[in-house]
Amino acid sequence: MRFRWLAVFPLLYAAVFGAVVSALGAPAPFVTGQRLLVRVLALAGCSLAVSAFERGDHLRRAWLWLAGGVIAILLRDLLRLLPSFQAGAAGPQAQAVLSGLGILANLCLLAGVWLLARAWKMAAISLPGGRSGVVAVALVTALLALAVAAPGALKSARDLAGGDWSSLILVVSAVVDIVTLCLIAPLLLTAVSLRGGLFSWPWGLVTASQLSWLLYDAAATLTPGGFPWGEVFRGMAENYLFAAGLAQLFVVQHVRRSSL
Amino acid sequence: MTSLLSSISEQVAARLTPYIGQFNARMWVKAVARRELGMTPEELTAAHLATLMEGLRPSLSTLMGRAAADDLLLHIAREVC
Repeated sequence: MRFRWLAVFPLLYAAVFGAVVSALGAPAPFVTGQRLLVRVLALAGCSLAVSAFERGDHLRRAWLWLAGGVIAILLRDLLRLLPSFQAGAAGPQAQAVLSGLGILANLCLLAGVWLLARAWKMAAISLPGGRSGVVAVALVTALLALAVAAPGALKSARDLAGGDWSSLILVVSAVVDIVTLCLIAPLLLTAVSLRGGLFSWPWGLVTASQLSWLLYDAAATLTPGGFPWGEVFRGMAENYLFAAGLAQLFVVQHVRRSSL
Repeated sequence: MTSLLSSISEQVAARLTPYIGQFNARMWVKAVARRELGMTPEELTAAHLATLMEGLRPSLSTLMGRAAADDLLLHIAREVC
């Protein structure tokens, strides 16, 4: 039952956030505060998942990378609160620090998601649909990832070709985004393969987190009607990561308690 | 009672099912029986249990960590014997 609540929590949070924004009109302190809150929750989830494992365990490394990614992006958000790092006031050095933290976060998250996505192969989990099913799902997710992230990447690449070196960071981030989003396929198929078992929950919730990032990128590309959809989906992505970390801890604890 | 009615492979798979689902539980037992013992799951007896447990260990360790995998395998071995 508590796993279902973990799955529902990010949706409830998004609904409450949406209601508050609709009523108050997205005041900056509220939006910034809730962004920090979801980052802290995501970090807590990853840390709890790390605590479920011992040094050397494959999934401990995966969750450590994910935690590292959240720390880097949280640090960037905190720095942005300082006057010298705020938009418009940030000099080239401050901008480089912020961009560097953004890229570091993306690379850490990619490493973590890669290790989670690879677990099916290491554990010899049989993915549903056979080889053709896996290829079909991988193709669909790759096309979706390209559809939402490629326009931004192309624009940044054009700026870079025009001599704007600050766009290099955006190009790298967009490419990492695309690769990370493509990993939704093995995560999703692992969760489906493990259905009926408690271990499908962490994979299912990580998949939901990655799908929320896909929606975040789509919102950034489409930007409909001034409503901060990007913030809604970012919150969902971070909260699903929190839920996945918690689910990971719960299932490992459940195994150990049941085996006494 | 269960151990009298079910084969070793069915008992082990039944104890893995709550964690990895019925499909993977059966597939893992079948794969280990074939790879480690060159047998079908139906041919497994109590004498093969230790080898079966050892064969399951790497996959379980990946999914739940070595400590939880060790606990679970010990528990299964105790219950099935």
